[in-house]
Amino acid sequence: MSDEGASPAARCRALTKIYGEGDTRVVALDAVDIDVAPGTFTAIMGPSGSGKSTLMHCLAGLDTATSGDVYIGDVRITGLSDRALTRVRRDSVGFVFQSFNLVPTLTAMENITLPLDIAGAPVDEAWLTTVIDAVGLADRLDHRPSELSGGQQQRVACARALASKPAIVFADEPTGNLDSQSGAEVLSLLRRSVDEFDQTIVMVTHDAAAASHADQVVFLADGRVVGSLHDPTAEVILARIGGLSSPQDSH
Amino acid sequence: MFRVAVRSLLAHRLRFTLTVLTVALGVAFIAGTNIFTGSLRGAFDALVSQPRADVTVRAGASDGGALQATFPANLVNEIAALPAAASAVGLVGADGAYVLGPDGKPVGVEGPPARGRSWVDDPAISAVTIVSGRPPAGPAEVALLQSTAETAAVNVGSRIRIDTPAAGVREFTVSGLVTRGLSGGLGGTLTVFDLATAQQVLTEPGTVTAILVTARSGVSQQELADEVAALAPEASRVETADQSRDEVVQRIQEGFAFFNTFLLAFGVIALFVSTFLIFNTFSMLVAQRSRELALLRAVGASRAQVSFAVLLEAVIVGVLAAVIGLLGGLAVSQLLRWVIAALGADLPGAPLRLEPSTIALALGASLVVTVASALLPARRASAIPPVAAMREGAAPSPRSLRRVTITGACLLIAATIPAVLALRLAESDGERAAQLTGVAAVLALVGVLALTPALARPVLGLLGSAMRGRIVGRMASANAVRNPRRTAATASALTVGLALMTAVSVLGSSARASVEDVVDTTIGADFILLGPGFRPFTTDVFQSVKDLPGASVVTYVRTIPVSIDDAQSPVTGVDPRVVTEVLDIPMATGSVQDLALGAAIVDTELARTLRVAEGDSVSGTFVNGEGSLRIIGTFEPAGPVRGFITTLPTVDAIGTLTRDTAIYIALQPGVSPATVRQDLASRLAAYPSIDIQDQADIKRDINGQFDVLFGLVYALLGLSVIVAFLGIVNTLSLSVVERTREVGLVRAVGMSRAQVRRMVTLEALLLAALGTLLGLALGIAFGMLLQRVLAPQGISVLAIPATQLAVFAALALVGGLAAALWPAWRAGRMPVLTAIAQM
Repeated sequence: MSDEGASPAARCRALTKIYGEGDTRVVALDAVDIDVAPGTFTAIMGPSGSGKSTLMHCLAGLDTATSGDVYIGDVRITGLSDRALTRVRRDSVGFVFQSFNLVPTLTAMENITLPLDIAGAPVDEAWLTTVIDAVGLADRLDHRPSELSGGQQQRVACARALASKPAIVFADEPTGNLDSQSGAEVLSLLRRSVDEFDQTIVMVTHDAAAASHADQVVFLADGRVVGSLHDPTAEVILARIGGLSSPQDSH
Repeated sequence: MFRVAVRSLLAHRLRFTLTVLTVALGVAFIAGTNIFTGSLRGAFDALVSQPRADVTVRAGASDGGALQATFPANLVNEIAALPAAASAVGLVGADGAYVLGPDGKPVGVEGPPARGRSWVDDPAISAVTIVSGRPPAGPAEVALLQSTAETAAVNVGSRIRIDTPAAGVREFTVSGLVTRGLSGGLGGTLTVFDLATAQQVLTEPGTVTAILVTARSGVSQQELADEVAALAPEASRVETADQSRDEVVQRIQEGFAFFNTFLLAFGVIALFVSTFLIFNTFSMLVAQRSRELALLRAVGASRAQVSFAVLLEAVIVGVLAAVIGLLGGLAVSQLLRWVIAALGADLPGAPLRLEPSTIALALGASLVVTVASALLPARRASAIPPVAAMREGAAPSPRSLRRVTITGACLLIAATIPAVLALRLAESDGERAAQLTGVAAVLALVGVLALTPALARPVLGLLGSAMRGRIVGRMASANAVRNPRRTAATASALTVGLALMTAVSVLGSSARASVEDVVDTTIGADFILLGPGFRPFTTDVFQSVKDLPGASVVTYVRTIPVSIDDAQSPVTGVDPRVVTEVLDIPMATGSVQDLALGAAIVDTELARTLRVAEGDSVSGTFVNGEGSLRIIGTFEPAGPVRGFITTLPTVDAIGTLTRDTAIYIALQPGVSPATVRQDLASRLAAYPSIDIQDQADIKRDINGQFDVLFGLVYALLGLSVIVAFLGIVNTLSLSVVERTREVGLVRAVGMSRAQVRRMVTLEALLLAALGTLLGLALGIAFGMLLQRVLAPQGISVLAIPATQLAVFAALALVGGLAAALWPAWRAGRMPVLTAIAQM
C-alpha cells in the first residue's frame, strides 16, 4: 500500500464485485483500493469467502469487475475486450495456480515457454537459462507433468510465470497442495525471483508461514481491506489473523 | 437406477441427440425399405382385383421384346367360336413407339421400353384405363400414359409426333391420358392406339400379338386354356389369369428384391458405422462420470446396478432412435414411391403403413446396435472402485493396446487367404470368387479397425510433424494421440465409409477404362447407328445409308434372344464377309468366315456355362419356336457382341421379323468423319430415334450409365460418412468438456479464443486425415482386388482415379473442418474463470 517510488506494477481503485441480484446478491469485493509496488512480494490473506481469490482474479484480468478500475502497469484493464485482456495476460502477467498448472501433453520445457510460444515471441535463451537454473529443473525439462512430483510441477509453473518477464506474477495458493518441504522450496523460489530478478509477485494464501515470505501482507475480510503488515513474521501474522474480528490498521 | 439414467441423459442432451440421430439414420433406411415392401404387398393385394382376361394367348414362344411375333387376326374369331369361350379380343402390342419431344428426339426412353399397344374397349379385361379425355379413335389419335404425357409436356388435345416401329414418324392428336396397373410394367413410355391404327403403326394390318379370351360362365380358366392351347400355334404361350398374375407378382418382387437388398445394405453399413460413435460416447461419458458412478457405488449400489444404469441409457437411446428412425423410414418409403411413380408405375391401393414387423425390426436393430456398443463401457463403469469418488481427478489408467493390435494384425494376415483364393477362382468360378472377396474385405476392414489405435500415434505423428513448429499445432496433435482408442474409434467410422467409396471409385474408373479399352480394341467401325436403349429399328434405315459416299463398309447386325434351359442369350446375325472390318471378334477356335446357314460361333464363357464345344449342336427356343445352332467355333467375349454369332439368314430364318439391331459403318481412308456425319444426319432425318455414334460417343454413353449408377452408390455411402462426421463432432465436444481445465489454463496464460478454436479444428483435421488415409489405403486395396477378381467379367483394366480420390480426401477434410465448428466454438467460449475455479 505504498505510494512512494516508481508507479505501481498493479493497482485497483474502488474495485467492487457483486454476484447475483436481489436475495442472492453477494458483495464479494467492496470498493477495494490496492497498490502493488514494482519489485515487491505481496501476500493477500483472508478467511474463506473473504474475496481474496476474486480480488486476484480481477487484478489479473481473469474476471471482470462490477465497478471500479484495475491497472496493470499503466494499462487500465477494466472494460477491455476479451482479446485485449488475453493479450495483457499473455504479455504482462504470469500465473501460478494451486494445482493443474501444466498442460499434460507438453513437456516441462514446452510448458515453460508456452506463453512465449502462444505469443509467437522469440525466446530469450539467456534469461530462460537463468530461470531454469533458478528453479533447479535443468535435468527434467523433457519430462511430462505426470512424470514430475507436485513440487517439481509447481516449480515448472513458476518458471513459466517468470519466463516471459511479465510485469507481475499472480500466485493462487501455490503451496496449497504441497508438503511443507516442497512448499518451502517454491516460496523461496518466489522470494528469490523478487530479490534477484526484481520480479513483482502477488500471492493469495491462507497460510501464515507462506505469507511470511512476502514484503507486505494485505488482509481481506468480507470483501474489504481490513489491514496490512510490512515485512511480517509468521507469528505476527497469526496474531493478526486472530485479531481480525476487531480490525485496525498497522500504520 | 432408472432415475439416474434419465437424469444423466438429460444432463448430456446434445451428446445423446447426436447419438440418437446417427442410429436413427441407419434405422430409417432399414425401416424405409421394409415399409415400402409392406406397401408393395398391399399393391399385390390390389392386383388380384385388377381386370384381367380369363385366358391370354401371346404370339411367340419367348418374350421377344421388340421382335414381337404375331398371329393372323382371324385366329381371334376362331378362338371366340370355341365352346368354352364367351368372347375373344385381339390385342396389338410392340416395343419401339417413341414419343418425340420438341427437339425431335425420343423422350423418357433411356433404357426402359417404349411400349405401344391397341386400346381394348372392355374395362373387365383391360389393365389400361382412361383417366382423362377419351380413348383413341381413328388413325390420327393416340392416348398416352399420364407420366409419358408429363415427360413430353403435352396434354389432351396436344399434337405430338411418334416414331413408330412399322410406319415411321407420324403425327397424332392426344385423345386422352391413361393409367396402367402394376401388371403394365414399370418405367418407359406407353402409347395407345385403336386396333386398326396399332396394326398399321406397330406390326402389320391383319395381325395381332395377343388374344384376350373370356370364359363362358361355368367354364374354368384351365378348361378354357386347354381348348385355346389346342387351337393356338405351337410358338405361342397360353396363360390363365391366375398364372399371369403370379408371374407379374413374381417379376415385381424380383425387381424390388434387388432394390431392397441394395438399400438395406447401406442402412446396415450406416448402423455399423454408428456403433463406433455410440461406443465412443458411452466410453467417454463413463470416464467423465467416474466420480459420480463411484459415489453411487460408495453409497451402496452394486456393480450390476452401475452397469445397468449405463445400459439403461443405451436402451433409452435405442428406443428413441427407433422411433425417429421409423418416422424417417416413412419418409424414405414415400421417397421410394415417388421414385417409382416418376418411373411411370402406379402403386394402386398401397397406403404407407407401419406393420408390427417393421416396428419390431427397427426397435430390434436399434437396440442391438446401441446396447451392444454400450456393453463394454458399462462393464468398465462397474469396475470403477467406490474409493474413486474420494480421489481427485481419477483418470483411468491407459490400457495396453497389445491384444487388440495383435488381433488386428492376425485378421489382416488372415484376410490374404480368401483374397488369394478369390484371385485363383476368378477365372473358373466368378460367384465363389466374389464371395471370397467379400470375406477378405470384411476381415481386412475389421483388422485395420483393430490396428487403428496402434497406428494412430505414428500416422498422426507424421501428419502432425507438418505443424509441430507451432504451439497450437503441437498441442492439437498431442491431443489427438492422447487417447488412441478414442481417436481410432472416431477415425474408424470415417475409414469404413471412405474405404467403401474408394473401392467403388476404383472399380468404377476401372470399368470405364475397360470399356474404353474394349471400344478401342474391338470396334473398328467409325460410326455405329443404334436405336434408343439398343432396341432394334426398321430396315429402312439401312436402305437410306447403304450407299453412303466415303464409306468402305456399311453392314447391319440383327440380335434376337434365344432361351436355352430357361436362360436367355443373344444370337447376333452378321455378314461374315465384312464383319471383321467393323468388329474385332477375337476367335478362340474356328473362324468367322466359315459361318453359314445354321452355323454359329459362341463366346467362351457361354460355351462353358452351356457345356458346349466346337462341333456340338445347341437347341433352344427362339422367337418363333424351337430351333438349333451348330457350333463351329468359339470367341473371347471381349467386344460388344456376346452370346452366339451366326449369319443374317440364320437369324432371319429363326426370328422371322426383320429388324436391325445396329448398323456399322467403316470409312475409306482420308474421308473426313465430320462430313460423313453431316451426310448421315441428313439421310436419317426421317428416323429421329436413331442415334449416330462414333467411338467417343459410345464411350460417353456407356460411361454416362456408369456415372448414374456410381452416383447413386456414392450418395448412399455418403450417409455413413455423415454419420462419421457426427462422430467427430461428438468426440471433440466431449474431449473439449473433458479438457475444460486445460483450456482454462492455456487461456489464462494468454492463448486467445482464436488460437483455442484453431487447436480444436486442427485436432478434427487430424482425426479426419487419419480416417481418410486409412480409408483410402484400404479402399484402393479393395478396389484392386475387386478389379482382378472381376477381370474375367470384363473389367480387364485397372485404373486408380487419382483426381476423384483427391476430391474424396479434400471433402473428408472439409467435413472434418465442418465437424470442428461447433466444438471449437464451444472451446473458445469456455469461460476462463469457471475453468480456473475447478482447479
